[in-house]
This record gives sequence, C-alpha cells and structure tokens, in this order.
Amino acid sequence: MSWDVVARKEFRDALRSKGLWVLSLVFTAFFVIPAAAALWFDVGIRGGQDVGMQLLIRVIYLNIVTLFLPLVAIFAGYAAISKERTSGSLKLLLSLPHSRKDVIIGKVVGRCGVVGVPLAGAFIVNALFLIASRLTFKPGLYVTFALFSLVFALVMVAVAVSISGAVENSLYSIIGNMTFFVSITFFWNLWANSIGDGLWDYLGITGAANWTTVLFLKLLNPSQAYKTIMNSMLGDGGNAERSARFSMFSGANGSEQATICNDVLAGEANTTQTIFGGTQTSCLETAQSVPLYFSDGAALFYLLLWIGLAAAVSYYTFNQYDL
Amino acid sequence: MAAIELEGVRKQFGEVTALEGVDLTVEEGEIYGFLGPNGAGKSTTINVLLDFVRPTDGTARVLGHDVREESKAIRERTGVLPEGYDVYDRLTGREHLEFVIDSKDAYVDPAELLDRVGLDQEDAERKAGGYSKGMAQRLVLAMALVGEPDLLILDEPSSGLDPNGARMMREIVREENERGATVFFSSHILGQVESVCDRVGIIQDGTLIAEDSIENLQEATDVETTLTVVVDEATDAVVSAVRDVAGVTGVDRSADELTVTCSDDIKMAVLNAIEEAGGEVEDFDTHEPSLEELFAAYTDGTDQPQSRAATASAEGDA
Repeated sequence: MSWDVVARKEFRDALRSKGLWVLSLVFTAFFVIPAAAALWFDVGIRGGQDVGMQLLIRVIYLNIVTLFLPLVAIFAGYAAISKERTSGSLKLLLSLPHSRKDVIIGKVVGRCGVVGVPLAGAFIVNALFLIASRLTFKPGLYVTFALFSLVFALVMVAVAVSISGAVENSLYSIIGNMTFFVSITFFWNLWANSIGDGLWDYLGITGAANWTTVLFLKLLNPSQAYKTIMNSMLGDGGNAERSARFSMFSGANGSEQATICNDVLAGEANTTQTIFGGTQTSCLETAQSVPLYFSDGAALFYLLLWIGLAAAVSYYTFNQYDL
Repeated sequence: MAAIELEGVRKQFGEVTALEGVDLTVEEGEIYGFLGPNGAGKSTTINVLLDFVRPTDGTARVLGHDVREESKAIRERTGVLPEGYDVYDRLTGREHLEFVIDSKDAYVDPAELLDRVGLDQEDAERKAGGYSKGMAQRLVLAMALVGEPDLLILDEPSSGLDPNGARMMREIVREENERGATVFFSSHILGQVESVCDRVGIIQDGTLIAEDSIENLQEATDVETTLTVVVDEATDAVVSAVRDVAGVTGVDRSADELTVTCSDDIKMAVLNAIEEAGGEVEDFDTHEPSLEELFAAYTDGTDQPQSRAATASAEGDA
C-alpha cells in the first residue's frame, strides 16, 4: 500500500495552489449566503421553524452543491495527471515504488482531501449561521447532508482525475471534464426522456416498462442520484423515498404520473384539484416498499458506480500508457 | 545474477521503431556506460527498464524481476535519475526528498543527502519551482540515492551540470559503486563514460552495435585520431617517412597538406619524422574522433574514419 504516500504529497502540493484557494473561498461564500440571509432576515418568524432547515437545504443547497461542487472538483482534479505527464514530473513519481494504480488512488484521495477541507469549513461556518438563526437546527440531518455531499465530491473528483489520466494534456482534460459536467447538469434528463420516447416509438415499449427504463437512466446520473437520496433523507415518514423518486418526474402529465407511481414505484397515485383549477398528483404510501433497484441504497450504489467506472477508464488508459 | 538483462527487446511507436531487438546484460556491481547519440534509443531502453513504456517484443529483467510483472519490486531497490523530468514547483527540495523517503520506507536524513549533492540548507527550504536546471538535477540525484539502492539508473546524468557538478556526479557514481551498487548510466558524450565505466554498450538507431570494455573502446578511439599537417613542401620523402612511423595507419596527400591517421600518442613522432625528412611543419591540427565516427568504426568493422578522410581529400583534388 503506497497510495497514502502519494495522497499526502498531492494534498501538500495542491493545497498550495492559490487558484484552488480562491475557488474554495468563492464556493464557501456562495454556500454561506443563504444561511446568513436566513439569519439576517429572521426567516421563520412567522412559523415553519421546524422544517425550515430541510426546506433551505432542499430548495437552495442541493442546487448549490450540484452546480458548484462539481466545478470545484473539476478544478481540483482535471490536471492531476495530465499536468504531471506534460511536465515530466510523472517520471519522478513513477520512478518510485508506486504502481500506476497507487498513483490514481493517491491522486483521487489527495485531491478529494483538497476539496474536502474547504468543504468541511463551509459546512461548519454554515452550521453556525443556521444555529444562530431562528430555524431549528437538526444536527443528525445536517451531518447526513454534509457526508453525502462529500461522497458526491469524491465521485466528481474520481471522474475528473480519471479523465485527466486518460487524455494527452490538461486542455483535453478540461474539455472532457466540462463536457461531462454539462451533460450531467443540463442534458441528462433530455437524453433519458429521448431514449424513453425512442423505446416507445420504435420498439413499442410503453407504460411501466418504459418509465422504469427512464427512471433507471435518471438515477444513473450522479448529480440526480445525489439529489434524490438527499430529498429522501430530508423528507419525513416512510414515504419519503417514494416521494423523492416520484418528484423526479415533475414534468410528466397526470396519467403518466399515475402510471409511474402505481406501476413503477409500487405506490398509490392520488390526484387532487388545486385551487387554480388544475390537478396535482402525489404518490402515497402502500404496504409495499419501493422496488429495491429504485431504493435509496440502490441510488447510492449507482452513485458509487461512477468511482468504479472512473477506475476502469483509468485502468484501460493511464495504466496502458507509454510515458 | 545479472542486474539488467534485456533479450530481444523491440519497441515500436506507431510507424517508428525505437528499439529493434536489443540484447544487453549488465552484471551486478559494475558501472555500465550506455552510449549513443540523441535519438538512438537510450531513453527508450531505460523507459522499458522502469515500465514507463511497454516493449512490443522481447523480455527485460531487472534485479531478477520481470519489468512488466514486478515493476514495483524493481523500483523499490532502484534509484532513478530520469531524462526529461520536471520537479514539483510548489514543493521544497526537502519535501521532495521526504516524499521519496516515505515512498521507499527509508530512514535517511534529507540534509545529509542534500549536502552530498551540493545543495545547502537554504536551497532545501526553497520551492523547487525556483531551482535552476543544475540544482534540479542535483536534487533529483539526491532523490535517486535515497535508501542505498542496489541499482542506479541515470539517464544523461551530467546534463545541466557545470564541470564541478559533473565531477561531483562521477564521484558519487564511484562511491555508490564501491558501496556495492550497480550503476547503469547513459550519455551521448564519450568523455563522461570513459572516466568511470567498467564496460560500455553503444547503441545506434535502436540497435546495440557494440559492447566492450573501456580499454578496448579506448583503443578503438586512439586508432581513429586524425592529424592534419600543412608542410612547406610535401615531398615523397616526407610522405614515406611519415608512413614508416610505427602506429601510423594511413597517410593521404593533398597538395601540401597531409592527413595522417594514427594513434593518439604518436602525434609528436609523426611531426618529428616530417622535420627529419626535410619538411617544415607550417601548421597542424588534430581531430579527435567524434562519437559518430566511433559508431561508424564499430558498425562496419572497417576503419571508417580513414576512408572518410580519403574521400575528403579526393574531393579536395578534384
């Protein structure tokens, strides 16, 4: 085992990058603004203190994490290997008794530490604001949020480092990383739905089978997997998991939502009139639980699968590469 | 057991063949000079030893381990000064050494090693990004020495060093060898190899064209010294007098200029012979064989430099 030595070196080295510090500060500032605002404007004075923190995390923080944390992770990891390859310091590193696998693992862990330290700082400062505010601070839930965010960061760093090891230079790495980021952030649902439509139009796969496929594809997106796990954790009661999955289909119409709830998530669709005359479908609890492959555990597994995928990419590219 | 064993190692980079079947053995405890012009395949060979590149064909073993299967075991016992490296800009010299010490599980005082390669305490605390090429080379040499490795692989170790640095490098190579380490180092400069090596391998165009002891190599070098003498009048008597000097292998006359091929130590004898035969030396110039000429001499076994000189003088006549 020698990846820990590489990880320590990486941590020491990357910690001195000024750019990374600036980015971490910007991220921390972004991160703290909502909680600071909640304190400043005395949010919760008219009630709602009890669910205020959950609401704040769900509506604002999950978006901050999925939008900005990947950018920090990319910045911390995109040059991890490509820069050493271009400069030649990789020759010094691989002259030492480290296998290429050790190098990849050490780089991921080290760079993850570099992201994790400011992230932990942001979470702590943020917690202080929340505690000071009128909203009820729930330590268990907050720590859960922090830990899953760290897992998400780890996945993103692993992907960034493996892309860095797979390509010729840092320019290609940043292009690859940004393509990945834009894909999971803005285009994934479009693709998932298009595949669903394609199955419907060309293969005649309709109804539950079709929606099952689409949900599965959606969950494969690391960003959405993280979000839906968190939504489930933030919700109360036994139906939180189902509600979290169900809310991934907010764009579907009433009858589609009923199919998704009843036949895909083993729930019971309940359609009600809204005060504006439209209808709203919610997915209620049943005796059955959500299918295993759509559970929180499965979503976490899909999220972690990206680390495996990153490792496989590294193995077939960086490991085979002639220096 | 041999420290390094290459058998039929071939390396193809796309269309380009960098190595075409190199067989090479370095015995334990020797200092082996790996000589060749730039681009001959020296670095590729070294990269194969360290598993930086994977041979297309053939097998390579270092310290008894296969380079592909047990590379880590090799690198645990090997100190490397690679070619075309870069140091970590943001880490200090000392931190570089600490990283190597941790990596190799060694117990050494970084200050001691830095002192040995001529870097002082102040340098050690500076970030390596601000080092000159020579300082970086010294630092990486110190890194190679961590943990008393059984094998030192040094790729063009003197590049970037001033004459003092090059001398220090040779001293360290000798010291390490006396300690019991095998040293394998590459160079494109004959002089560097001559002074320290037990044995020399010469590579050209991806093929090992000769492997020889340093004495034999020096002999080959001497044979090829070319002496150009301008005399007032190059009479037949002068030419035959020169030809009669023991050790002269060829004389070419071109107007009043004589091109004499001889061993290095009889230059004075040649000049004396010319004077005695009634010629007056107006000017003379010696031409040490270049590495390329040495290679040429080795490649086809004939005395290439001499025939090249003959060609030159023939052209001069025309």
